[in-house]
Amino acid sequence: MNDLIRRAIAAEAEERVDSRTVLANLHKAKKRKPLGMIVGVATLTVAAAAAAVIVPTTIKKTDAAPAGAPASKAENVLLIGTDDVGNTDALMLARFPADGQAALVVSLPRDILVDEIRINGLFAQDPKKLTDAVTKTTGAQVDHWAAVEMAEFGAISQALGGVEVCLKAASYDPITRASFPAGRQTLLGDRALAFLRQRHGLPNGDLDRAKRQQAFLVGLASQVTKDKAAALAREANRAIRVDDGWDVLEFAQRFSGAMGISVSTLPVGEPVQRTTGYGYEVDPAQAQEFVHNALGGQDKSGGVDCVD
Amino acid sequence: MGFDQFVADRLDRLLGYATAITCDKHLAQDIVQNVLIRAQSRWERIDKMDAPYLYVKRMVTNDYLSWRRRKAAREIAVERAELARHAPSMADPADAHAERDAMRARIAVLPRKQRAALVLRFYEDCNDAEIAQVLGCTESTVRSQLSRALQTLRTHELARSATLGAHS
Repeated sequence: MNDLIRRAIAAEAEERVDSRTVLANLHKAKKRKPLGMIVGVATLTVAAAAAAVIVPTTIKKTDAAPAGAPASKAENVLLIGTDDVGNTDALMLARFPADGQAALVVSLPRDILVDEIRINGLFAQDPKKLTDAVTKTTGAQVDHWAAVEMAEFGAISQALGGVEVCLKAASYDPITRASFPAGRQTLLGDRALAFLRQRHGLPNGDLDRAKRQQAFLVGLASQVTKDKAAALAREANRAIRVDDGWDVLEFAQRFSGAMGISVSTLPVGEPVQRTTGYGYEVDPAQAQEFVHNALGGQDKSGGVDCVD
Repeated sequence: MGFDQFVADRLDRLLGYATAITCDKHLAQDIVQNVLIRAQSRWERIDKMDAPYLYVKRMVTNDYLSWRRRKAAREIAVERAELARHAPSMADPADAHAERDAMRARIAVLPRKQRAALVLRFYEDCNDAEIAQVLGCTESTVRSQLSRALQTLRTHELARSATLGAHS
């Protein structure tokens, strides 16, 4: 039967389109100019979808933003950073109060286990599986989600002319061979990406990575100025997907003044080994209390200083 | 290896692979194009990896297996299921092509991940470890996906032979 299978699959593969067609399309894609300087509402809308990460800051500093109709209610947005193959590298639950004055952000380690399954593969299967798992773990309702390919943060940092972060100690990544000195530094492009992705060679692996993502986010927010917003919106436009039911324009209207971002990380115990892989188990009661306090603004530890 | 060289060497093979797992040449083209555009923007990093082709194949596979493509995959499955139902009665068992096409229709209605494992084994000649890498799962999961797929195909093959009174 194996031979029959082999022939059947080969016959299916024979149906493929002519590779020259694809090659021509690839060349066209390469030549396509970057979008012009059209910073219409539509572009801003998509930038808004970058939600949170970039968003609030972009909108509030741009004249083209619609003048502030009062926003209705606080919303929880799950921010998802994915790698090339669709797995979740970064996961943050952000709460945007109705007044748009401050965002409260909790990083969720992507290796936490929900029902014995690591959550970092759920998004690729079905976004709802991920939002359900997050609600189950944190007790917080997820109103919307926005997903960004992490690789795009290289371009995003470039568009901003760099993002400043601070490292407690020099670090070296044995996988990518990227090394970073201790102290304050401005990261651009691939360096920014390497910084965001590193988890090997850090004292607490993925947990330190989550701290780095937070530091980057805060640094990013502080970099966004009115004249950089256009370039940023263009980069964001390419990179972001949001859930179907989200009116990002309406969402964007709440941001008018300066906004602070306060961050924290969901505490987890020691990693455990399961048949489905290793990961962190989370005590639901503790997690729910932590997230409730953090999103309610009770947790005052919120600033980001230097990270590992 | 530069990106252009990679594409020159591998594009046709990638299209064949994508067409075999999707059973839809247009969907396959769409996926391969998108993946290559994404791969190009970060080629420097991919090129440094031990097995860039395997990695790009993983990008293609994950794109297909992701929720975004689920609807397209379902539509094709329904269409092929229809085909599979009619194939045995129309086929002349003496005709090798008919036999092959009947098998093709049955492979097309397998669950997506099982079909991907099958194509990696029988079209790409990957071993368990390589398939595990592409599918992002353990080797034991690969083995169970493959054995389930083969089991299904074997059951259908027997049923079909019996219906036709053939001994294949």
